[in-house]
Amino acid sequence: METILETRGLTKVYRSDGVATPALRGVDLAVRAGEFVSIMGPSGCGKSTLLYLAGLLDTPTDGTVVLAGTETRNLGDGERTRLRRRHVGYVFQRFNLLPTLSAEDNVALALRLRGRRVGDLAREMLAAVGLEDERRRRPNQLSVGEQQRVAIARALVTGPDLLLADEPTGNLDSETSGRVLALVERFHAERGQSVVLITHNEQVAARAGRIVRMRDGKTLDG
Amino acid sequence: MLPLANIMARRLRTAISVLAIGVGVALFLVLVGLTSMLREIAERTVNVDAHLMVWPASDQVVLSGGLPAEKVQKDLEAIPGVARAIPVLRWPFEMAGRVQNVYGIRPPDWPAFAGPERIVAGRPLRGGFEMVIDTRLQKAGGYALGQEIERWGKRFTIVGIAREGVAGRVFMPIETVGACLDQTQLRASFFYVRAEGPAVVASIRDAVAARGLKPVTFDEFYDMLASSFVDMDLVVGAVVFVAGFVCFLVILLTVYTMVIERTRQIGILRGIGASRSQVFGLILAEAGLICLGGVAAGFLMTWAGRAAVLHLQPLWTVDIPPVRFAYAVLLAVGGTLLGALHPAMRAARQDPVECLRYE
Repeated sequence: METILETRGLTKVYRSDGVATPALRGVDLAVRAGEFVSIMGPSGCGKSTLLYLAGLLDTPTDGTVVLAGTETRNLGDGERTRLRRRHVGYVFQRFNLLPTLSAEDNVALALRLRGRRVGDLAREMLAAVGLEDERRRRPNQLSVGEQQRVAIARALVTGPDLLLADEPTGNLDSETSGRVLALVERFHAERGQSVVLITHNEQVAARAGRIVRMRDGKTLDG
Repeated sequence: MLPLANIMARRLRTAISVLAIGVGVALFLVLVGLTSMLREIAERTVNVDAHLMVWPASDQVVLSGGLPAEKVQKDLEAIPGVARAIPVLRWPFEMAGRVQNVYGIRPPDWPAFAGPERIVAGRPLRGGFEMVIDTRLQKAGGYALGQEIERWGKRFTIVGIAREGVAGRVFMPIETVGACLDQTQLRASFFYVRAEGPAVVASIRDAVAARGLKPVTFDEFYDMLASSFVDMDLVVGAVVFVAGFVCFLVILLTVYTMVIERTRQIGILRGIGASRSQVFGLILAEAGLICLGGVAAGFLMTWAGRAAVLHLQPLWTVDIPPVRFAYAVLLAVGGTLLGALHPAMRAARQDPVECLRYE
């Protein structure tokens, strides 16, 4: 099975006011196509940083990310953006919906940014996450669970090969968490995309096919 | 979609920005319109069948009521090449609540001021306590043909209404004006001189000057006013600069605030696939929408401002050539682009991860 995401010796050091803070220390990770991986670890262990680098939202201090077979170390911002658009869907921890757009427009935006025709795609995606009737509502008119489902719809509407989800259930109650995870699992099963999901919850992590544990910027197992 | 949604989410700020741009646009356009007043006066003054004007050389003569009309007329008509000398006694006269210059002329000289098609109602002057007014004054004062106007202790009848564009807005028989001013000898404020042809205008001019009078050809008159136009253009230029600068400052402040407020949003956009150029374009699009609103508001305010000026001063001229509207759009767009460029570039260069972490 091909590898959709691979990190080799991934290192990230944040510098601020002359102080260097290592967030990742040489992480090696490989995610195969169609695999569901969860990444667990205590706060500050580098989980989110790993996801930002994997999604090409940030550049490593050292090491490299290979996404869909493309070595990204020497790519410019434009090329990384194009690669991210083509292969990655991102679900942020805090839903991060645009507050001035309706649910449907939030989902459609992901398509518009890629120059793709929206048609009924956004509406169909919202129907798939059970929110067709709420498509005209703004984020502040939706519950937290509904907002997260919209965020998932936005991440998946473009048909990415890799879904990166940063604590998608972190702000949700257990019942809503269960529903959101069920959605992620369903899409993973139906569409076969790879999923990398960050969580600090054992029960959530257990739903993945493989758990990668992190501490102090390193993976404990690969 | 997103730019429009974003600016509508901050309606008050958007409205203020739109207003600021609109005021700049309206100020420029109305001022340009007002400068046309000078041109209108100049065009009316030289809209006479003549080639030059002859004025007294000294202010003392002016103060004494003007030049002796018959004597100077004979003198001027004796100059080779002069076809006709037309005396005009010009005096302040209150009409429509404002001071006008009544043109006292000899009734037989009326054709030099206006052809027969110019009289739209009534007839030209014949003599006595009559006046002919132009359509602009008629509208401003709500005057009617046949109406009597009491001034200088006399009652004057409006016997004719001429289409605007004639030299003065009020014409009366010169003898009538002289009598009302208690002149013992008929005087003229100046003369219009018609030459036999354009070729002799220069020689007539020299001959008039040799007689101790002040000749002004129509070209010279326009040149004199042109220097006023230049001053007006400088004033307009200064206003354009200030208006453009205000536009630039308002947009700069607005867009900078927008970018700071949207820091997290920028991170989201980058996270869901927006490129730097798309972020840049979205910020510029928001500024562009505000500019568009400002231009529209400016045009509306111009229309309202023009209407207000003409309501308060119906005899003023506020003509705005269509090309100036295009300049106004360029002014607003230029100020907007300059103001939005740096914040938009800054937004595009922001680190997406830092944006996502921004609280």
